[in-house]
Amino acid sequence: MGEAYIAGVAMTDIGWHEDDPHDMGARVCAEALRDAGLLPAQVDGLISTPHGYMADTRKMIAQRMADYLGITCGLMLDVDSGGNSTSVAVHIARDRIREGKISSCLVFAAQREAPPNRIKEDIVGHFHLIKAANSLYDSYQAAYGLISPLPFYAMAVQRYMNLHSIPPEDIAGVAALLRAHALKHPQAAYKEPLTVEEVLASSFVSPPIRRLECSEMHDGAAAVVMVGEELARGNPRAVRIAGMAEAHDPTSFAPYRGEISRFPCVGRAARAALEESGYALTDIDVAEVYGAFAGMEPMMYEELGFFAPGKAPEAVREGRTTHGGEVLLNPSGGRLSLGHPAYVTPLLEFIEIVRQLRGEAGGRQRPGAAVGLVHTEQGFINGSIVAVLDKGR
Amino acid sequence: MDTKPYIQDRAAREFFSLLERGEFRTTRCRSCGEAHYPPRVVCPACLGEEMEWVDLPREGTLLAFTQQRDAVRCRRPEVLGLVELEGIGNVFTRIDAPLEELRIGMRVAFSTWTSSDGVALHQFRPPRA
Ligand SMILES: [Zn+2]
Repeated sequence: MGEAYIAGVAMTDIGWHEDDPHDMGARVCAEALRDAGLLPAQVDGLISTPHGYMADTRKMIAQRMADYLGITCGLMLDVDSGGNSTSVAVHIARDRIREGKISSCLVFAAQREAPPNRIKEDIVGHFHLIKAANSLYDSYQAAYGLISPLPFYAMAVQRYMNLHSIPPEDIAGVAALLRAHALKHPQAAYKEPLTVEEVLASSFVSPPIRRLECSEMHDGAAAVVMVGEELARGNPRAVRIAGMAEAHDPTSFAPYRGEISRFPCVGRAARAALEESGYALTDIDVAEVYGAFAGMEPMMYEELGFFAPGKAPEAVREGRTTHGGEVLLNPSGGRLSLGHPAYVTPLLEFIEIVRQLRGEAGGRQRPGAAVGLVHTEQGFINGSIVAVLDKGR
Repeated sequence: MDTKPYIQDRAAREFFSLLERGEFRTTRCRSCGEAHYPPRVVCPACLGEEMEWVDLPREGTLLAFTQQRDAVRCRRPEVLGLVELEGIGNVFTRIDAPLEELRIGMRVAFSTWTSSDGVALHQFRPPRA
């Protein structure tokens, strides 16, 4: 088996965009190819995702881009696995490249949803979108009118805080720290500082989760260019994916059996990815973790193995997950403060780790970062993908 | 019962029409005897396709609870919870009590409740003082 690398990356600013998602996608594809030093004629695979959960979704996104950019390729796919989609894409591309079936692959996603305020102003006009949001869940969950998985996350956080006696200040502190990280990221959706007091003063949206402890859905686009050994040769900015693994639990949103505050797939994916890479968790300098709510962040840090159960909140409070700490977690600002266009999010995580390992992360650079980790999830963390990246060779 | 878009599959249609009559039931496999929640038309244990409907326990343990502010069809805010039924698993349900009266681990009992579009749903409530 050969090796697979990420040789080019590009992302838009995260926020609300007026551009058509096709145009956003084309621009990040072009920028990522320029960053990799490749032309469309050298692209051998093309993978994309839908434009959003509630967007008026077009089909066959990758095929349209192949036509638009003039790409003749040996792999084409639109992936729809919720929040994991672009991570699945990277995983498949990596395997095909390592098998020698393709020499390169362009993975891109562009998300544009109807902004929530626009939906609220015109509920009737957007009712088809609300019905689409409800249709994510099975009959026994959808019947209670769900339009987001927020109540499931709230119950998980409630049990976690209860089991480990976590004070609300420690959860609010995670949101405040992620905002501090995002202030060092020029493309982040949020530009204003956030204090623990402000988080605790925000209203409950689904107790114990408060408004400022939630990620908001955003628009944005991102692309990564993956290559095999031949195209990576002589490119010192290519970052290697040293290990990658995917794991799923037999659940869809709230578990009908077992503990709602535990997510076994996360640890299984992490252990398998680390084993393939040859690194230990203690080798990781920097990681991007998929936490959609402040309370979920410490739970994910623990499931990945960075801290013992119940111990991540105090680690965050003691500064062990920020600049100068033992491991830098979510330097981008994470889902809460970088912003969260879900179909794009895994690519944003890969891009942050690529920038950190290249030494191109600007004011949020971890000095000497050599090994990084990406964690992504789908549904209500019903499935997880973990990748371990290094400088290769 | 009217066909509602969110009541999708065959077992779900039967489950919700039984609830209309106050019956809280699920499927059990005739081949291997395993009961499942939610109900199914195929058995994940033995892959059999012959099912019978059996009663679910009408009491359980409250594992977690919260409140949903924005939702379709239900009144707002709505208290929701996860209730463990012994030997069956977890049921996601409405909780018929104010949030401040609830505690993790308390016993709760089944009843039915009709949503704004006329569908009978299950709910659970703590014993009245
Ligand atoms: Zn059976």
